[in-house]
Amino acid sequence: MSEMRCIVVTPEETLRDTPAEFVALPLYDGEIGVAPGHGPMIGRLGAGELRITAGDRVWRYYVEGGFVEVLGDVVSVLAGQAVPAEALDEAVVLEELDTARSRKATTPDLMAQRDRAVAQYRAQARVARRARAEA
Amino acid sequence: MAKARALDRRRRSIRNIRKITRTMELISTARFKRAMDRATAASAYTDRIIKVVRDLAQSGLEVSHPLLAPREHVRRGVLLILSANRGMCGGYNGNVLRLAHRRLAEWKTQLEEVRLDVSGKRGISAFRFRKIAPDERFTHFEDRPSFGEVELLANRYLDWFETGRIDQLDVVYTKFESLSRQTAVKETLLPLAGLGAADEENGNNRSAAEVQYDFLPSARAILDEVVPTSFKVKLLKCFLDAAVSEQIARMMAMKAATENADQMISHLSMAYNRARQGQITSELLEVIGGAEALNE
Repeated sequence: MSEMRCIVVTPEETLRDTPAEFVALPLYDGEIGVAPGHGPMIGRLGAGELRITAGDRVWRYYVEGGFVEVLGDVVSVLAGQAVPAEALDEAVVLEELDTARSRKATTPDLMAQRDRAVAQYRAQARVARRARAEA
Repeated sequence: MAKARALDRRRRSIRNIRKITRTMELISTARFKRAMDRATAASAYTDRIIKVVRDLAQSGLEVSHPLLAPREHVRRGVLLILSANRGMCGGYNGNVLRLAHRRLAEWKTQLEEVRLDVSGKRGISAFRFRKIAPDERFTHFEDRPSFGEVELLANRYLDWFETGRIDQLDVVYTKFESLSRQTAVKETLLPLAGLGAADEENGNNRSAAEVQYDFLPSARAILDEVVPTSFKVKLLKCFLDAAVSEQIARMMAMKAATENADQMISHLSMAYNRARQGQITSELLEVIGGAEALNE
């Protein structure tokens, strides 16, 4: 089976540049899997888990915002924010989620902001939980 | 003895100063390396964003976005000035501030409202000296500005620009061109002048022209997202450039100061030795003169 190259960059640094057999990405409307031979694609990322599988190793990241470009056998993930899943602490995230949820929102703008924050923290908690379950 | 001792005292104090400047040189060398690493690491993202924009343009989409459109009447502007938190870096702060003052004076006559945001203690105190109160001051951008911090700022400007509270955003900072060349520049970040793809378009369209991308959700939606992101990245680049340039400027200034101190020490040493020798000679002459007088 052929292999791909997966590059994860954030505005600050290149997080990982590795050969991969399979990459699962959180797009704006759900997860997408990219295997070798995928057609060229540019997609918008949402908040969620990025999984890179190579052999029996799996790297997990929480990514939020940005783009993914698939061209040839290179998958470039341009994430606004990317955190290794192991670095997330579920307890802390849940606490943040609670404060975000109880935030007062009196205007539609604030409400949208709050909903976004809640969704982000939920996604973070999910990633943290899965990382822990794996370990 | 008085003159020789005074010279020695001066020499000693210069030696102490030399120790300080030398240490500062070493510190800024280390910081420069770190800042430089960050700047190169960040360029990977910028390059890829530019590539995405180029591919978008080639998919037949007309690249237009509210952030790219210049306003017909510029009435309200924001001037963001990136200076250092510390001095001892030669003309670094002076150059930026001189350019900023010129721009500010220009805008004050042309625009209805000018908002002044200053980053760095040096810039803040320089404006205080001129009795100009900045609307916002930042001192938390040290030599390692993080994307998170810059993004907060960028989001605010984006918000203001979109809602029409501002018509233009200019950033005055020191651009890093090469190791031996950093210049203070003024750049208009909002409206964005372009996405950095136009100048490369001709050279590269043969390779990507045949590729038919699948856009999820659509090319237009991707563009809507790419434009603000590229603004944020540009702003981050300004901060990173400023940080790198600051360290280089300090490194150079402190290197020159150390060299000057070395020179001064050697001059003073010579003067001191001569003064001491002169003293010894005159004392000898006195002794010999006294002995001669006794002999007679």
